[in-house]
Amino acid sequence: MSRIYEDLTVLIKRSKIILYILGAIFLLVLASYWKIQVLDHQKYWKMAEANRTRELPLVAPRGLILDRQQVILADNIPSFKLSLVPEAIDNYEKTIDNLSLLLELGEEELRKRIERYKFVSLYQPVVIKDNLKLEEVSLIEARKEEFPELKLEVEPKRNYPLGSTAAHLLGYLQEASADEIKANPDKQWRLGEMVGKSGLEKQYNDYLTGIEGKLVEMVDSRGRPIAEISRTEPLPGKSLVLSIDIDLQKKAEELLQGREGAIVILEPRTGECLALVSSPSFDPNRFITRFSTEEWLSIVNDPGKPLENRAIRGMYSPGSIFKIIMALAGLDQGLITENSTFFCSGAIKLYGNVFSCWYQAGHGRRNLAEAIKDSCNVYFYQLGYQMDIDVIANYARKMGLGQKTNLDIPGEKDGLVPSSEWKRKTMGEPWYPGETISVSIGQGPLLVTPIQIACVTASLANRGLSVRPTLIKENRGELIGSRIQLPRETFEKVIEGMWQSVNNHGTGQGAFQAGLDICGKTGSTQLISRKTAEKIAGEEGQVAKTHSWFTGFAPRENPEIVVTVLVEYGGLGGQTAAPIAGQIFKAYRDKYVRPENIKGN
Amino acid sequence: MLDRKILKEIDVTTILLMVAISITGIIFVYSAIYYQGSQYVWKQITWLLLCLVVLLISLMIDYKLYLSISLPLYIFMNLLLLGLLIFGKKIANTRSWIVLGPFQVQPSELTKLVVILVLARIFSEYKEDLMSLKAFLLSTLVVVLPATLTALQPDLGTALTYLPILVSTYILAGIKKKHLAVILIAMLVIGLVGWNYGLKDYQKQRIETLLTPDQDPRGAGYQLRQSKIAIGSGGLTGKGYRKGTQSQLRFLPARHTDFIMAVMAEEVGFLGLIIVFSLYFLLLYRLFSSAWVSADRAGVYLAFLAAMLIGCQFLINVMMLVGLFPITGIPVPLISYGGSSLLTSFLACSLAINVRMRRFSFI
Repeated sequence: MSRIYEDLTVLIKRSKIILYILGAIFLLVLASYWKIQVLDHQKYWKMAEANRTRELPLVAPRGLILDRQQVILADNIPSFKLSLVPEAIDNYEKTIDNLSLLLELGEEELRKRIERYKFVSLYQPVVIKDNLKLEEVSLIEARKEEFPELKLEVEPKRNYPLGSTAAHLLGYLQEASADEIKANPDKQWRLGEMVGKSGLEKQYNDYLTGIEGKLVEMVDSRGRPIAEISRTEPLPGKSLVLSIDIDLQKKAEELLQGREGAIVILEPRTGECLALVSSPSFDPNRFITRFSTEEWLSIVNDPGKPLENRAIRGMYSPGSIFKIIMALAGLDQGLITENSTFFCSGAIKLYGNVFSCWYQAGHGRRNLAEAIKDSCNVYFYQLGYQMDIDVIANYARKMGLGQKTNLDIPGEKDGLVPSSEWKRKTMGEPWYPGETISVSIGQGPLLVTPIQIACVTASLANRGLSVRPTLIKENRGELIGSRIQLPRETFEKVIEGMWQSVNNHGTGQGAFQAGLDICGKTGSTQLISRKTAEKIAGEEGQVAKTHSWFTGFAPRENPEIVVTVLVEYGGLGGQTAAPIAGQIFKAYRDKYVRPENIKGN
Repeated sequence: MLDRKILKEIDVTTILLMVAISITGIIFVYSAIYYQGSQYVWKQITWLLLCLVVLLISLMIDYKLYLSISLPLYIFMNLLLLGLLIFGKKIANTRSWIVLGPFQVQPSELTKLVVILVLARIFSEYKEDLMSLKAFLLSTLVVVLPATLTALQPDLGTALTYLPILVSTYILAGIKKKHLAVILIAMLVIGLVGWNYGLKDYQKQRIETLLTPDQDPRGAGYQLRQSKIAIGSGGLTGKGYRKGTQSQLRFLPARHTDFIMAVMAEEVGFLGLIIVFSLYFLLLYRLFSSAWVSADRAGVYLAFLAAMLIGCQFLINVMMLVGLFPITGIPVPLISYGGSSLLTSFLACSLAINVRMRRFSFI
């Protein structure tokens, strides 16, 4: 056999060229690996770390809120919340379907929630339900393997053990909205963080909020935790001790049960509030959930406006309560003395109009104390007739009306003290002197809040020392108020009338409590003109009532307590508000005044 | 038929390289999925042993015999592919598997071998150094038919691996540069048309992903992104065997098959990769050198095509991991988990060894 060699040199040459090309591609590929592995190593290392680790906030329990006797008004209870890691979702539609079935959540609500947080990070869990019931917790636990994208966590949840008691002053928490987070970049709120939305919870949010802890854990590609890498425990928030006496608060709320109104009880010397009641109330526990749209709407739309804190936001005509300020002004201006008198025949004609007294038969001749005691309108009409509206306004502001009292919860209203300038500005008309006559008995455009009236009363009880009201027990030091530039004597003359009102068969006698020297003043604010009232009465067969006021303090010397009561549609001040105030004085006496100190014992 | 002289000529170097690369593969298959139990590793070891036996048996037979039966084999394989398209069960969304007892076989893998046999036979018969039109048309047809059948399964990745083989065959066969340019342009045009009309949405998405991998981390770009993170975070020296977070925490997809090189890159780093790349290039060089010592034209083609089959698939895979090539789902020859792939690679190498063994044998 002979071997036939073919000439394969050309073929071999070509194959070598191709091998060189392959070799070059090998080197190019290696170069690109060099770029990724060595040059860009740091970048990819970080990405790998971000992949495998997840930082979870450990929610710090909020500080407790306690009353002055350390009764717990707000604490924390453990609550289960369920989160979803969007990155770990395999089949979006299936997950949504299953979850809405399992947890009875609306599909739309769920979708929106996931969408809303999408921009943050796909690896960050999104809270989809909180306050899970135990059955729901076990349901989720049982299907852990089926839903690796779900994450069950326990976090401290705010709890108000007394329910609706003191709800307005405590306030409530809600999830920080995206807008709020943007508006408060310095607070470093996390999405989904619960923050105070009203009351003390809002005012002292930073104080009550602890320092969040951090858990860094290793997770796999489905978001399942594999191991804990590090853990920084959260620091609980500081506790807040209130000046509130929860017994008095409860008593006052009980007295307003079924009515709309407000009660303020405070210590005149310190400005510390012992109670701050607004009725009707609400249960703040119901808001501490991220998903309560319906419930929330039902409360917001309630015609009784339970969320409104009437004690600081309700603006009412002061009615006859304003006579206190008129009396102070008249005395200070030298227009009257304690002995000068006016005659009341039941009505008086001024500037061509007839102004009536509430007592149509007429009070006869009355000095200052008697006029306050009987709340005689004609006396104060005649005093007002001698005064300019701007002088009255000046005294009203001096006593603290027309401005916030700066109680330490947000949302307080200013009220309104009318003046000639105010009228010109808002209505473009001059002030008519006839209007001054209405203002002198607390009607007209005057508007006050119950907390303002309580503060006026405290200044009176302090004989001219006005204090800033507070709900906090601890910061007594900075409460030293300012002195109102009126002689002590002037206050004593007005207080005499207020004492008589309660203790000498005056309009405030409903507040009388044996053994406690109570001074007070009633007020009934005319809501509508008498004509309209009669018209309504004719049509609907019921008389439109007035708002009922009482404000007072006790004892007369070295006062310890101020009580201000407002009952909406409560009728005459003496009928409704004064007896309620009497009950509060009694409760206070029973709790705080030792028997040997009760007068007459 | 087989005498001792020839047996002595068995290329032990090539076989050692193949086994070394395969064992490296098994080591990282274990790292990639050890938590799923070791049955994958045992299965792959069994495959390796089986492949060695098949390799030795296949070497007993002269490659010229394979060439002589290549045409019937080719027809058979194409019929098999066609049958799969019509009667095959869908596994992992493609009709590419035949289930044989405990093993699943992908005929499309073995078809590649038959294709290079047919190509070698065709070109051994045209004993000129310049490619004729007839040879061009015939070789193109021989490649395009099974490639199309494979692409229809749909397994675009495997189908695409035929492309560099075909082009390199043209070059080897002596196509004119002008013609080559025209063909490359034509391929580009066909590619564009195919993009618009032929590709399935997920295939398009994969290619788009190549351009913007970071756009949708959980969507189509996820695999490439995770692959690059794994490779990049491995650094120069790697995170250590079985300590790659990307693979151990399962961020990497198809860790034991298509993305096994990313597992390696993460765990042994760039330096480790250089060793694997070097082993691979040595193997390729050895296969090419078998072509250079071949006794006949068919042998040159056979060894050359076998080397190209292995080399191109390797390169496409490692390019795909770093985004230089669309993610198409093709395994790394010898390294990835999977019996069909291993067997095909072994048989391809065996053809080159066969050519070298019989370099002195007479016709």
